[in-house]
Amino acid sequence: MTLVLEAAILGVLTGGVYALMASGLTLIFGVMRIINVGHGALVVLGAYLSFAVTRSIGIDPFLTLFITMPVMFLLGLVLQTVFIRPLKTDREALSVLVTYALALGIEGILGYIFTTNYVQLKGWYETTSFPVGSFRIAYVYVFGFVLCLAILGAMFFVLYRTTFGSSIRATMLNRTAAQLVGIDVDRVSAVAFGIGMATAAAGGVVFGITTAFNPGSHYDLISRLLTIIVLGGLGSMRGAIVAALIMLVSEDITSVVVSPVWASFVFFVILVVVLLVRPQGLYGVRVRDRL
Amino acid sequence: MSPVARLNVLKVGGLLLVFAVALALPALAPDPATTNIAVFTMMYVGLATAWNIMGGYTGYISLGHAGFFGFGSYCLGLLLAHLGTAAGYAPFMLVPLAGLATAILAFAVGWFALRTRAATFVIVTIAFMFMLQLLAENLVGLTGGGGGLSFPVPPWSGDYFNTPYYYAMLVLALVGLGTSWLIRHSKFGLGLLAIRDDEDKALAVGVPTPAFKLTAFIVSAALVGMIGGVYGYYVTYIYPQFVVDPLIGISMVLMVFLGGLGTITGPVLGALILEPAQLWLAYNYGASRLYLVLYAAVFLVVILVLPRGIVPSASDFLARWRAKAAASAPAATRQ
Amino acid sequence: MGRRLMAAAVAGLGLTVAACGSSSTAAPAAPITIGVSVSLTGDFSGDGKALVQGYDLWAADENAKGGLLGHQITMEYKDDASSTQQVVTNYENMITVDKVALVFGPFSSLLTIPASTVVSRYGYAFAEPAGGGPSVFNRGLTNIFFVQPAAVEDNLVSYAKYLLSLPVGQRPATAAYATQDDPFTQPQVDKAKTLLEAGGITTAYYHVYPAETTDFSPIALNVANSKADAVILGTQLPDALAFAQTFIQQHYNPKTIIETTGPDQGAQFSGPLGANTEGIMVPAGWTPAATAYGNAKFVSAFITKYGGAAADISADSAEAYSVGQVVDQAATKAGTIDNTKLIAALHSGTYQTVQGPMSFDSTGKPQGGVGVYIEQWQSGAAVFVYPATVAAAPPEYPKKNWQ
Repeated sequence: MTLVLEAAILGVLTGGVYALMASGLTLIFGVMRIINVGHGALVVLGAYLSFAVTRSIGIDPFLTLFITMPVMFLLGLVLQTVFIRPLKTDREALSVLVTYALALGIEGILGYIFTTNYVQLKGWYETTSFPVGSFRIAYVYVFGFVLCLAILGAMFFVLYRTTFGSSIRATMLNRTAAQLVGIDVDRVSAVAFGIGMATAAAGGVVFGITTAFNPGSHYDLISRLLTIIVLGGLGSMRGAIVAALIMLVSEDITSVVVSPVWASFVFFVILVVVLLVRPQGLYGVRVRDRL
Repeated sequence: MSPVARLNVLKVGGLLLVFAVALALPALAPDPATTNIAVFTMMYVGLATAWNIMGGYTGYISLGHAGFFGFGSYCLGLLLAHLGTAAGYAPFMLVPLAGLATAILAFAVGWFALRTRAATFVIVTIAFMFMLQLLAENLVGLTGGGGGLSFPVPPWSGDYFNTPYYYAMLVLALVGLGTSWLIRHSKFGLGLLAIRDDEDKALAVGVPTPAFKLTAFIVSAALVGMIGGVYGYYVTYIYPQFVVDPLIGISMVLMVFLGGLGTITGPVLGALILEPAQLWLAYNYGASRLYLVLYAAVFLVVILVLPRGIVPSASDFLARWRAKAAASAPAATRQ
Repeated sequence: MGRRLMAAAVAGLGLTVAACGSSSTAAPAAPITIGVSVSLTGDFSGDGKALVQGYDLWAADENAKGGLLGHQITMEYKDDASSTQQVVTNYENMITVDKVALVFGPFSSLLTIPASTVVSRYGYAFAEPAGGGPSVFNRGLTNIFFVQPAAVEDNLVSYAKYLLSLPVGQRPATAAYATQDDPFTQPQVDKAKTLLEAGGITTAYYHVYPAETTDFSPIALNVANSKADAVILGTQLPDALAFAQTFIQQHYNPKTIIETTGPDQGAQFSGPLGANTEGIMVPAGWTPAATAYGNAKFVSAFITKYGGAAADISADSAEAYSVGQVVDQAATKAGTIDNTKLIAALHSGTYQTVQGPMSFDSTGKPQGGVGVYIEQWQSGAAVFVYPATVAAAPPEYPKKNWQ
């Protein structure tokens, strides 16, 4: 029984990381109605940026966020303006292709600079743990979880307590109406993409500390992130968080109780069941011809 | 002859020429390196055309078609293993059975997935693809799991080996093109286009949208499944992660977008341009690891410069040019 | 009669001398290209790079000696992006368009199998460093040669022997097994399990996980929870690291741990783990300190060319180098680099490599019971510890606790 509990706690802790990454992804979708299949590559990019910073000035990976998050934010503004804003027609389908190309480009450049060897971010806490009852919890997961809570909290604060946040939410609800009301949707989109990238940077640090990665690691990440935001409901931050937790907890418990082989399958079954009842996902909004 | 008729003759003539070249290719360029590229290129012509039947006509973008590709591959492999079919020409006869099995799968998947719309549909298809990959990996007793599945290897010589596969792919591509053309010129096709433009209005007007969408999905998937079967037979050994490969799925989508979504010749053009380019880039630049960056750059340029694809952009350009010519002609003769 | 015999002998001797003399002063033969498809991008890219280093070093050494049977060598690498489609296309192109003289193998059974069908169509010899899963050999092809000391499924036999040789009081009572569903890792682990169970070691946990798993913590937790004395893991590098790190976090100290790959990847393994590599074992045909044919020279040449320390060298590089050595010796034996003759030559005789001596049966499986040894990390270096005939140090058992 303790094993199940331990798996559940692990699921919640690692779920936090996925929740953070998925929130960025779903925010981008909500504001710009694009499916950013390059989000996994952005997380890996964030991990590599932290890796480069720690390699040159030797600070703790978590502290690198003070550098990498602003850098990724600015990079996001640039990417959105150059590659995504020009997409006028057929936004969703073309956006998949454009962001996929970006992912490939990022993977290629990272491979060129860092080679394809596996690396991992190192901190004093990566293998230390503290006991809880009869099992142990690693510090690194707790730190990562706290970081994710902090950043998610900051995001919610911005979205719900600031004027700019209201513009973002307005654009998510109805882009045309927001424009009519006077909101500069282009600027909002660029900033939203920047925020998405900044969260990817944070996710990248936690991902990079807990897992060995190389430029090709983004494929596995993006497949999980996409299924999370569909379960949660596209465009819903709350949904992304809940869905990420459901995914990780159910996978970890299944892995421990039944078998690792069927762990991811359980999540897909949950996805199928939910979508049968609510095709728009847990918290999604069913709009007339768009979801 | 009127200019319209002349254009039509040119079009038909051009098509016949392309068809003749495609038919005679192994005789014109018999070296195995070229026929190898030809096999993969023709494979993508078929895949792009098949995908276009769903994505282009109904507007439902499926990014999970690689799942059907892999499923068809496994079906054929398992059939061949169970029936003990000898390697050679006989396995090609069993390919339609793989297509039938894929159609049945597509019915089940489509019934569920088509309840969602737009972006959710896209991601649901991705999810199904990963589920299929998982099943292929985990049902070890059936599929061999991570160890892969072996196909019988025909004893043909190195110089001849690729040719039967090329013709098999050509046949499937032609079937796909024929189906696409027939659909396009039928009431069914009209209904699909109506769904693409505005599904709720189409439903209101009386188009049986669920049945139409599902049919298009099944036809598209069955074709892809058959092509997957031939592919498995060609490479002689398949693994879950290589045959249910998101890259295959996204390549066929890119080719259709490059050529022109919803057109008939667009997907063909897209495949003819992109697949040899991709193989050539990987072959010559892969070792320098800039291959991915170059590929991505090509991708981006194509999408940003020609968002509607080559064929629609070209016909737009032609139409505008003709209109300009027509507008200036009367002025010239008016004197 | 005696004089004629004498004359014939002298003539024969003279001819031989002349032949020897002429071969050392003959004009150098035309340069040749050897084609290899390597995974430079995609899933296997870490190993692909190590293979290239090994092949390049071998080619440089050969060229310094005058080339392969006098032919100066150029290595041609093509990226297969770890994909079936590309590996097939690459070998097809290299053989028929670039007309390479010889080909060497790519990384992993997954890519070797489709490639082998193409290569065999053209009658080329296919000496390969990394495709040893059972399916490589059961397809009726005769041109494949797997250049490692043992077929993959026998990799853990030495380890099983070692454990069962320990006195009953010291021997592990229970064992936990976790392996990827992969044609390289699973056959070894399964065979080890059969042997150990027959020897009386109870199985406390056994699970196979999909190769595409990204989060290994739950599985590692299960292993840790089984509190088994021995842990046998069928891993590649990322999961090898992940398991070790979870064990450290959980303060789980089994008496012995062995991983099928990962600990043999030099710096990529010791970088993230630091001092905690201590005591981890891996089946290995090669270690930097081994005394096999040409190994000392290989290691020093590697460090000269690529820098780093001996402990950073990945086994993949040694395997690639061995492929070159085998082909060189076969060519010398056959007197030609013609592929048909090479294939015939390779099916008999013993070949000396940095991984030890090896010979190939009719399907290309290495045989001769050379076997794979146990390598263990001790004080920051990986050394052979078993069997005693090759051991540089005694095995550390039980494994020291994590730091």
